Amino acid sequence: MPMLKLDNVSKIYRTGLVETRALRDFSLTVDEGEFVTITGPSGSGKTTFLNVSGLLDAFEQGKYWLDGMDVSRLSDREMSRVRNEKIGFIFQGFNLLPDLDVFDNVDVPLRYRRLPAKERKARIEKAIAMVGLSSRLRHLPSQLSGGQQQRVAIARVLAGDPKLILADEPTGNLDSAMAREIMEILEQVNEARTTIIMVTHNPEHAARAHRQLHIADGRLVDFERITPFPLNRVEREISSRQVAG
Amino acid sequence: MEFGPIFRSLLRSRARVILIVAEVALTLAIVANCLSLILDTRAQLAKPSGFDDEHLIAIQATPFDDRLRDPKILDQLVEQDRRTLRAVAGVRAVSHTSLRPWERSGSITAVRLPGTRNEPARTQSAEADPGLFDTLGLPIVQGRGFTQAEYDQGGDAPLSEVQPVVVSRALADHLYPGGGAVGKPIADADESQRFTIVGIVDHFYNPFGETSEKIMLLPARSASFDYGSRYLVRTQGNPAPLMPQLEKALLGVEKGRFIKLRTTVENRDEYHGRDRLLVGSLNAVMALLVLVTALGIVGLTSFSVAERQRQIGTRRALGADRLAIVRHFLLENWMVTSFGVVLGVLLAYGLNFGIVTWVAGARLSAATVAAGALALWTIGLGAALGPALRGARVQPAIATRNV
Amino acid sequence: MLTYNLRLAWKSVRRYPVLSALILLGIALGVGVSTTFITAYHVLARDPVPGKSESLYYVRMNSWGAADDPFLQTPPPIVTWRDAQELLKSRIPVHSTATFASRGTVFPADGARPLRQSLRLATADFFPMFAVPFRYGGPWSREADAKPETVAVIDSALNDRLFGGADSVGRTIRVEKAELRIVGVLAPWRPRVRAFGLFGSPLQAPESIFLPLALTGPMALQPNEGQMNWRTPAPGEDKLPYASRLMVNEILFLGFWAELPNPESVKAYKSFLDAYVTEQKKHGRFPHPLNNRLTSILDLMAELKVVPPQTKALAAISLLFLVVAALNLIGLFLGKFLARASTVGVRRALGASRWTIFVQHLVECELMGLAGGALGVLLSLAGLAVLNRVYGDGPAGVAFFQLDVPMVLAAVILSLLAGAIAGLYPAWRICAIPPARHLKSQ
Ligand SMILES: Nc1ncnc2c1ncn2[C@@H]1O[C@H](COP(=O)(O)OP(=O)(O)OP(=O)(O)O)[C@@H](O)[C@H]1O
Ligand SMILES: [Mg+2]
Repeated sequence: MPMLKLDNVSKIYRTGLVETRALRDFSLTVDEGEFVTITGPSGSGKTTFLNVSGLLDAFEQGKYWLDGMDVSRLSDREMSRVRNEKIGFIFQGFNLLPDLDVFDNVDVPLRYRRLPAKERKARIEKAIAMVGLSSRLRHLPSQLSGGQQQRVAIARVLAGDPKLILADEPTGNLDSAMAREIMEILEQVNEARTTIIMVTHNPEHAARAHRQLHIADGRLVDFERITPFPLNRVEREISSRQVAG
Repeated sequence: MEFGPIFRSLLRSRARVILIVAEVALTLAIVANCLSLILDTRAQLAKPSGFDDEHLIAIQATPFDDRLRDPKILDQLVEQDRRTLRAVAGVRAVSHTSLRPWERSGSITAVRLPGTRNEPARTQSAEADPGLFDTLGLPIVQGRGFTQAEYDQGGDAPLSEVQPVVVSRALADHLYPGGGAVGKPIADADESQRFTIVGIVDHFYNPFGETSEKIMLLPARSASFDYGSRYLVRTQGNPAPLMPQLEKALLGVEKGRFIKLRTTVENRDEYHGRDRLLVGSLNAVMALLVLVTALGIVGLTSFSVAERQRQIGTRRALGADRLAIVRHFLLENWMVTSFGVVLGVLLAYGLNFGIVTWVAGARLSAATVAAGALALWTIGLGAALGPALRGARVQPAIATRNV
Repeated sequence: MLTYNLRLAWKSVRRYPVLSALILLGIALGVGVSTTFITAYHVLARDPVPGKSESLYYVRMNSWGAADDPFLQTPPPIVTWRDAQELLKSRIPVHSTATFASRGTVFPADGARPLRQSLRLATADFFPMFAVPFRYGGPWSREADAKPETVAVIDSALNDRLFGGADSVGRTIRVEKAELRIVGVLAPWRPRVRAFGLFGSPLQAPESIFLPLALTGPMALQPNEGQMNWRTPAPGEDKLPYASRLMVNEILFLGFWAELPNPESVKAYKSFLDAYVTEQKKHGRFPHPLNNRLTSILDLMAELKVVPPQTKALAAISLLFLVVAALNLIGLFLGKFLARASTVGVRRALGASRWTIFVQHLVECELMGLAGGALGVLLSLAGLAVLNRVYGDGPAGVAFFQLDVPMVLAAVILSLLAGAIAGLYPAWRICAIPPARHLKSQ
C-alpha cells in the first residue's frame, strides 16, 4: 500500500505580480517503509514539496492521498490532526521551542494528541533514551549543541510514533560527524518500517536511501538520466524494481 | 491543558511576565479601591430626602424697599404671595417656611425632655405654615399638622406659652424611645420654652450640621426685612419652566424686593456636587487606567506573538490546530494575569489600609475585591484575544523556512 | 550627535506609527490624570496665605453659658462682639481682626434696580493679614475703624459693574441706607481657600464689599454665615433691633484672628487671653474651665478637613496611575526596541558602541516622554476645566483650579521621568545583547 500518493499536484506562490510555480504537475508515489531522499538545486521546490506533503501548505491543483486517505481538501482541524498523528517533521533549523526544556519539547505533539500524562511520560522518556539524551531532560535548547538539538527534534518525532517522517535538510546545520550520527538514527527508525522522505544537499547521504529523487524547477526529474554518481547496490535494485513496477 | 510547560516557559521570559503582573496587580489594587470609594460615596448620594424633590421650587423674597420694613406689611405680603403663587397654573401646593431642603442652611437647637438631666438632643428646627406637609409630600404619620390659628399667632406667641411642634420620627424616637410621643412635651435645653409634640413625620432627611434626620417644625411666620420671606412651591409637572412665571407673579405683588428661585433638584445637585465630582473622577481614573492596562497587555502580547512566529509555525507543524494556538496564548495570558490578580488582591488590601489610615474611607469589602479581580481577569483575557487570534493566522509552512 | 539621535528617534516614530501613538497616549494619560488630580490637591492644600500661615492664629474661647451639656465643653468656633472688642485692644499681635460675613443691598447711583451683594465686615488689619491685593487705593485706616468712618473696599467685579472698571477711589457707593466712600478697589482675587471664612464656606469666593466692623450697628447688618446663641433673650429683649442685640448679648458670630510672628508673642498672647477670661469669670461669664485655643491656619484647615480627604486619595491614586502608565511604557518600548534588534546589530557591527546605542534609544524615550507630557498637560487642562465647571469660577473670572508654573514644571519633570524610567531598562536590554545575536536572528 502506498504511504503517500501525489497526483498532478501544482503549487503556485503569488507575491505581488510575480508568480512562482514551485510545483508543476507533480506526481509521486512513496510506499510504506520506504526511505526516499530528495535532491535538487536551490529554489527548485524541495521544501515546497515537503510543505505540501506534510499538509503545512495548501496546493492549487491535483490530488493527494496519505496512508490511503484523500487529504486534498481538509479543514484546518483535520489537517492538524493528520500532521499530529501521522507525520513527523525534522527541520534544518531544529525548531525546538526555546522556552521549553528537552522533556517539554518532546511533550508538545503528545499534548495536542491529548494522551494521558502517564503514557506521555513513558513515551517521552523512551524517545529521549533512543536518541541518547536521557541525562539532559531538563536542559534548555540553548544549553545543547546543534547535534543534540537535532536529536531532541528526532525524539520529538519518535515520541509521536508517526507513519511518515518528513525531514528538510536535517543535517544541513551540522558538521559531518554529527550528520552521520543523525543519519544512523534515521536509518534505525526506518528499519522499524517508518516511511522517511528526506531533502538533502549531501550526495553521500542521499545515496544511502532506498530511492533517490531529484527535483528541478518544480518537477520530478527522471533519476536515472541525471544521476551524476554511481548508485549503491540496494538503490540500484529498488530503482530497477520501480522502473519495472 | 498544558499548565506545566507554559508555567515553566513563563518563568523564562521574566521581563514580560513581571511587567504584566505588576501592571495587573497595581491596576487591580487601584480599581478595587476606586470601586470601594465609589460605592461608599454612591450610598451617600442615593439617600432620598423623603420629599417630592423633583417637583419643588425654593423661593426667597428679600425686600429692599424701605416701605417693607413695617412687619404688618410684610405679613400681608406673605398672604398675598401665597395666594398669588397658588393661583399660577401648574402649582400644586405652596408653603411659607424657613425649611430649605438640600441647602446646607437652617437652624439647629438643642432640646430635651422637660425635667430631665439627659444630654440634650441637637435637632434642626424650622418654621412652617400648615401647608408644608402637602408641599413637601411628607405625610403626617401620627397625630396632626398645624392649624391656621396656630400659624397665625405662632410668631408672636410669648415664650411662656407651650408651642405645638411636629417632629421627625428620628427625633421622636430619640426623645421617647418607647413610642407614643404624640401629645408629650419637649423643652429647650435650658427649659425656657416648652413644646408639645402634635404630630410626627417619617422619612425626613435633610443633611445639615450633624442632624440630618432630626427636625422640629414650629408654626410661625418667619418673615423679616433682613432675611425676607421664604416659600416652597410644589408643581404638578417639571418645575423649571414655571420659574419665570412665578418670579413675575411675585414681582407683580411687590417689586421692591429681590426674588431668588431655584429648583430643589438644582440645590440637591449642588449639595452632591463634590461627591458626584469625586465619583465622576474615580470613574474616569478607573476607565482610563483599565484602558492603559488593556493597551499594555495588547502590546506585550502582540510582541510576544510577533516574536514567536516561528514557534507558532512549529507547533502548527507538530499538530496544533488554530484553536490550540489561541488557547495557548489565552492560557499563558490567563496565568500571568492570575499572578497579577493574586498579587493585586494583596496590594488592594495594602492600599486600602493606607487610605483608611492616612486619608479616610471605608474598608474594602471582599465582594468589591472579587468584582475587581473578575474584571481584570476578563480584561486580561479580552486584551490577549486579538493578538492570540493573530497568532492563529500564522502559516504552519513558516516552520520549514530556513533561517 | 544629539540631532542625529533625534533624527533617528523621529524615523523610528514614523516607522511604527500605531505603536508610537500607543506610547504617546500612554504617557499622555498618565501625566494628564496625575497632573489633574495632583493640581486639585495642591490647589486646596497649599498654604492659603503664603508666607503668613505660620503666624496667623485663630482664637477660640469657651464663652458658652453654664449648662450640663457635653457639647458646651468645647469652645465655640466664633466669639461674641464684646469679647472681640476687648481682644482687639491688645497690642501683642502685629495685626488682629474680628470679621463676619453679611449681605446687603447696593443702590446704584443711576437709579437702576438694586443689587444684593455679599459683605464682609472686618477691621483695617484684615487686609495686610490676609495679603489682600489692591488695584486702586488701599485699606482704610485704623482711625476709620475707631470713629467709624463710612468707607468701603470693593472687589474688581463690582467695580467693573458700577464704575466700568475705572479708578473709583473717592467715589461713593450706597449700601443699605449708608453712603460709603470707596477707599480701595481689589485686584481680581480668588483665594482657593478663604482662610478668613474657614468655618463658613471655605471654598467660596470672597465677598464683594468690605466694610469697617464698627459699621455693623449703625448699618444694622446681620451675620448670614453662622451665629450661635445659648442664652434665651430676656422678656422684651427680642423686640430690640437685632443689630443692637448683637452688640450687647452673648450671641456668637465673629471669627477672630491674631498675627503672632514668633513663639514669644504666641505665649504672651496666650497668657493675655487666659488673663482676660479669668477676669471675665469674676463677672459671672465663662463658667467653664479655662480652655482657650490658638490654632494656626494650617492646623485649622486640617481640623476642619477643608481639603476633602477623598481629594488626597485621588491624588495618591493618580500617582499610582502614572506608575502603571510607566510600566506599560516599559513593555511597549521593550517590544519596539527588540523588534528592531537586527538593525541595532548592524549598527553595532558598523562600530557603534554600546553607549551610543543606549543613548540613541534613551533619546527616543525622552522624546516620546516630552511629547506625551505636552499632550498630558493639555489633557489635564481639559480635566481641570471639568473640575472648574463643578466648583464654579471666581467673581472676576478667575478659575478655581489653575495650572500654575510649578505644576507645569512638575508635569514636564514627571514626563521626563516617565520617559527615563520607562526607557532605561529597554535601552539597556537592547544595548546589552551581543551584536552577533541580532545579526543571526534576521
Ligand atoms: N512563501 C513563498 N512565497 C513566495 N515564493 C516562495 C515561497 N516559498 C518558496 N517560494 C519560491 O518557490 C520556489 C521553491 O522554493 P523552495 O523553498 O521549495 O526551494 P528549495 O528547493 O527548498 O530550495 P533550497 O534548497 O534553497 O532550500 C522558490 O523559487 C522560492 O522562491
Ligand atoms: Mg528548502
